[in-house]
Amino acid sequence: MKRALSMLSGPLGAILLVVVLMSLAMVVAGTSPIDGFSALFLGALGGRNELGETLVATTSLLFPALGITLAFRAGLFNIGAEGQLLMGGLFAGAAGAAIALPPAIEITLLLLLGAVGGGIWGGIAGWMKARFGASEIIATLMLNFVAAFLALDLVSGPLKGPVASGAETAWLAPQYWLPTLLPHTRLSIGLVIALAIAVVLQFVFTRTVFGYDLRAAGEAPEAARRSGIDLRRLTWLSLALSGAIAGVGGAVIVTGELHRFNTQLSPGYGFTAIAVALVGDLNPLWVCVAAFGFGILEAGGLAMQASAQVPKDAIHLIEGLIILVLAARRYVAARTEVA
Amino acid sequence: MTLAITLIVLTLIKATPIVYAALGGVISERSGVINIGLEGMMVAGAFFAVIVSYATGSPVPGLMAGIAAGAAFGYILALAATRFKVDQIVAGTGINLICTGGAAYGLVLLFNQPGASVQVHALGSDYWILVLLAFALAAALHVVLYRTPWGLRVRACGENPFAVTSAGLNPLLLRTYAVVLSGALAGLGGAFLSIGELNLYSEGMTAGRGFIALAAVIFGRWTPLGATGAALVFGLFEALQFVLEGRIAWLPPSAMSALPYVAALIALAGITGRVRPPKADGVPY
Repeated sequence: MKRALSMLSGPLGAILLVVVLMSLAMVVAGTSPIDGFSALFLGALGGRNELGETLVATTSLLFPALGITLAFRAGLFNIGAEGQLLMGGLFAGAAGAAIALPPAIEITLLLLLGAVGGGIWGGIAGWMKARFGASEIIATLMLNFVAAFLALDLVSGPLKGPVASGAETAWLAPQYWLPTLLPHTRLSIGLVIALAIAVVLQFVFTRTVFGYDLRAAGEAPEAARRSGIDLRRLTWLSLALSGAIAGVGGAVIVTGELHRFNTQLSPGYGFTAIAVALVGDLNPLWVCVAAFGFGILEAGGLAMQASAQVPKDAIHLIEGLIILVLAARRYVAARTEVA
Repeated sequence: MTLAITLIVLTLIKATPIVYAALGGVISERSGVINIGLEGMMVAGAFFAVIVSYATGSPVPGLMAGIAAGAAFGYILALAATRFKVDQIVAGTGINLICTGGAAYGLVLLFNQPGASVQVHALGSDYWILVLLAFALAAALHVVLYRTPWGLRVRACGENPFAVTSAGLNPLLLRTYAVVLSGALAGLGGAFLSIGELNLYSEGMTAGRGFIALAAVIFGRWTPLGATGAALVFGLFEALQFVLEGRIAWLPPSAMSALPYVAALIALAGITGRVRPPKADGVPY
């Protein structure tokens, strides 16, 4: 019994749970799970194009998930990755439409501007927490809305492209597009950048003083404070860095996929990324694996909707359940260790 | 003059769903559980109110269903926070995803259309009762929290649950009651949006009011009357949008929409440090 419980509480249990829940969602929608899953996997992995789209979703989720991982490890609840992603994309899109530099320099600049945009957005919450003690949870949540409205205002007015029909900036010239990774797909080298950030993050966590301080602040803030770690500095820095990583993600979506900024940049990646970070156990390398899993769900969900008539929103319902159950599993795991 | 009256009336109406959710936030946080899931519980309330009103052809069962749906998700959060010691913020975020995703999934399944439900029987002019009820409940919750033994126990759970145990009571059970009540209130707020103000469910109709309510709880210093006052201020911002729309040409409409959130941020920075949350708020027992 004990062994069965701890088996179920592992990653295998999580996958099993997803399969059961997905099957349920498919049966309710009037599709057999076999048809549903084959539609899902064919749609996610069935060919070059499909794999490309899955990896595009993986990339878009990985940046905010890594940002969230950094903040959570520091004990800070950054629920604002969605807004940080948007601000990063806005900065990159606005600059990309306006500035003309040699391509390599320009692309690098746009990605850095993405980091600045997201970093400012995360940094505001960090500054509020460090300076006033304001709850970073509420601050990051509110900033999501401010970012959405700000972006909408700017691209409906001053930043709107001259020939754009909707709320979006002008298109980036093709030489400023992020190079393609997988030919004939939308997959850009953004994926490589995301993976590199994951490796750097893992190195920072395990091999640097800053990473040690960060984890100490997250796991034992009082002990960290007494050992001389500047918690205020760590707070705003962690949230700014967390936002910056998400912001690069926004810039990658703009320069790599959309080739312009519009307000539909993210269908909730910043929130799904919380699930990704938790499933990856807040370990940057496992977060990469988790992002791929969620990328399959996101990309396959669309195919599942089209060919098996299972609403793709079932995916978000299931993501929420995963968050709840995975958080509960830690308790089950801890309890079985004691027992 | 008529403009002033319009503004007052609109403020009351726009504040009502935030008042319900904020009262839910107060009771939950006073018991020691931060309810980030208020937004999702409002969505559940709005959605199920419409479904049941559609099925029965009458808004009153719909209203009850909205309250029950909110309470059910409150119970899930309570279970997660008490029995399974899940991090409350994580669990609340999960509930928000479940409710928004679930409602979108349900819309496609039941009405075969994304985005919005069909029109259903709504409360019509009777929704005034719900506006008045919101403020009556604020007063009632004040009395319950500060004038009854149960209120004292709930507040004690939020300050020092160990003391509650020493007194021979079960803080986990008290927290469960408080969070279920919190969900019911949020569900009622959601139902007010869908079958009170309107007569359908549409995606994104809660528009972050559950999060605004969390801010209202802080500005209201974790008291029912204070949170209600803060909710009224947020309601005023929303009402101003309607009244001023088209009157101030230089201000883009979405800047007006962003105003409540910016105001919440500034107030959050200004007020923190001068107010004290319940000592065991967010701390598992």
